[in-house]
Amino acid sequence: MSTQPLNAFQAIADPSRRQILLMLSRDNMTINSLAENFDMSRPAVSKHVKMLYNAGFISITDIGRERYCTLKQDGFSELQDWINFFANFWKKKLQKLEDILNNKSKKK
Amino acid sequence: MQKEIKQMWFFNQSPQEVWEYLTKPELLEQWLMKTDFQPIVGHKFRFMTKPSHDCNYDKIIDCEVLEIEPFTKISYSWKGHSNNGKYSFDSKVIWTLIPLEDGTELQLVHNGFKVLEDFISHDSGWALIGSRLIELLKTTTNVNTTP
Repeated sequence: MSTQPLNAFQAIADPSRRQILLMLSRDNMTINSLAENFDMSRPAVSKHVKMLYNAGFISITDIGRERYCTLKQDGFSELQDWINFFANFWKKKLQKLEDILNNKSKKK
Repeated sequence: MQKEIKQMWFFNQSPQEVWEYLTKPELLEQWLMKTDFQPIVGHKFRFMTKPSHDCNYDKIIDCEVLEIEPFTKISYSWKGHSNNGKYSFDSKVIWTLIPLEDGTELQLVHNGFKVLEDFISHDSGWALIGSRLIELLKTTTNVNTTP
């Protein structure tokens, strides 16, 4: 078994994990209260929470005996970074195409 | 959160001429990357960056032609991963050529970053999550920005 943390895309590839993020987008929740919304066992939910935590989507705070989950920006930023990366990539490439075509029409 | 890339470019050339630059490997290489593209639906091909190119992703992009409408539209899948293998993407690139009186408008859409798209279309989640994050960021003073 690989212990490598999931990347942001893999982390949100699972519907249960997306559901967890969506629930957390409404309010901070404990792992127990999250688990109440799923058919799976608490340890199974806890495992998904850990994956989201490792991928930077949530932070976990211990308050008393409860573990509170809160959305965290890092995971979302990583997704955004990819989009930005390709947006810049295409901009540069298309600028190059424009230069080529402009030069071509000048030569005519 | 932005879910797709959309860019519009205007060229003085006709759609036929711009089309050549989108479909002929020797022309694609001039501005995009080295490739064995062929304008045939189902054709599997690759884009390869030059070894010297300093990029955040792997040197090979695996693609498959999905749609071809001569001088009008091309789409292909766009799959690859980062150099360290940590990040992978499975996405789609769509080119649309719109003839204008004095040239061509070229529209690029790069979307379908697979799971991202699923998330957006099935859960209407990003808006909610986005507003929640803005709220959180307002209240968080020490945002950890370590990569």
